[in-house]
Amino acid sequence: MTAFLGICLLGALLELDTTYAFQLTFSRGIIAGPLLGLLAGDVLTGLQVGVFTELLFIDINPLGGMLPPSAAVCCTLSMALYALNIPIYFAFFFGVIGSILFSVCEIFVRKRRGNWIVHEEQKIHQRPSRMNQTVIRALGMSFAGNLLFVLIVGLAIGPSFVKLLAHLPEQLQLAGRFAYMAVPWIGLATLISAFRLKTR
Amino acid sequence: MNFTMHLRLFLRSLFIQTGWNFTKYQNIGLAFTMYPFLRRIYQHDPEALPSVVDRYLENFNTQPMMASFCLGALARQEERLAQTKTLAAYKERLSEWNGIKRSLSITSASIGDRLFWGTLKPFTLLLALCIWLLVGINFFEIEIPGTFTRWELFGAAAAAFLAFNAIALFVKWQGITLSYHAVNNGCFGLTKFDWNKTIYNAKRIGILISVVLLLWGVYYFVHDLEEFLGVQFITRAVLVLFFVSISLMTRDLRIPNMYVYIAAMLAFSLVSLF
Repeated sequence: MTAFLGICLLGALLELDTTYAFQLTFSRGIIAGPLLGLLAGDVLTGLQVGVFTELLFIDINPLGGMLPPSAAVCCTLSMALYALNIPIYFAFFFGVIGSILFSVCEIFVRKRRGNWIVHEEQKIHQRPSRMNQTVIRALGMSFAGNLLFVLIVGLAIGPSFVKLLAHLPEQLQLAGRFAYMAVPWIGLATLISAFRLKTR
Repeated sequence: MNFTMHLRLFLRSLFIQTGWNFTKYQNIGLAFTMYPFLRRIYQHDPEALPSVVDRYLENFNTQPMMASFCLGALARQEERLAQTKTLAAYKERLSEWNGIKRSLSITSASIGDRLFWGTLKPFTLLLALCIWLLVGINFFEIEIPGTFTRWELFGAAAAAFLAFNAIALFVKWQGITLSYHAVNNGCFGLTKFDWNKTIYNAKRIGILISVVLLLWGVYYFVHDLEEFLGVQFITRAVLVLFFVSISLMTRDLRIPNMYVYIAAMLAFSLVSLF
């Protein structure tokens, strides 16, 4: 459970890099995956999850106001569930679903944040130096939101799926392994079209 | 603009997307980044500062790495605004300021999206994948065989990280200088780099490496002739060919990869149960 909590904390912090702070690519799958793997005690699996996440999401970019699924959240959920002894091919599936769900929640939060921004703008108008506090508060709220999301999804899926795992038929495990094995091939084929001169 | 102010703008620009919202996008980030510069310009007229900051709190949206071109140009224009003596001149320069903010944010976002998200990100991913495969980390297998040192495990990720950020931070730093010192007919420093040629060349190299990587993957499955035409080999070959074909087809249909994977997971599960 300590590894689970550590992974959630680091993942929530790394997710800030996606949009709200730095954008130094700490939140990329190939960076976040091995780092989170270090906390889970299996860097190789973390590295693999990171590579698979990047390859799977390589065809969606944050253009305009578009919000692609978060690679950091996908890696965090995958490694957090893996730390709870869920096989990586199932953990990764839940990670992908979780990251899609996260982008839906993020759209909702960004729409709602508009009201808070109006409130803050009024305060900044009265005292412009308040801007620093606004930015710190915005970062703090984003971090708290990220942490809450990964904890809720991780705890909602993790313990119940661990119990279910013992009753799952062997064929389903095989299906999970097959789908997981397909990920690099889906991604590599996309990489070729990603480098075409006319791409989305 | 002195070095200290340049550095402050650069460091603060790392938070340009903080508070991103669908109403005014990066307005909080832009105002936060420009605040020390505005405070210095209006140090003798602090009463003007709130209304100046309000202008920066209006709509603003661009690509975060390329935002530096907007920062430098807006800083230069703000200096001119602060020096105006008549109301007519002020109105004219304010209109110019608005035009620069709007047009430069759109132009730099268009370049930045193509360069950073469309080219550099997949390119550095390729770089990392090639390094990992060269040191023997075979991520195609569920249980990766072999033991590796920390350098081998993290080296490729570090190389991708450094390659991406060397270019991103260089553009970020130079963007402020170029746009601050550039004249209007130089597109605020944007024409200093041949963006199209850079993107074109990177994409040509990228497609070549992608094909080599894909062929390496195919070779990995067929190199052991003893296994060739065995049940396991045929199963894997069919699986690989199927997903490569599906992925290429879904590109044209504009279906994202993640849905292909989710569909594969559900389809395999259903097939395995019945």
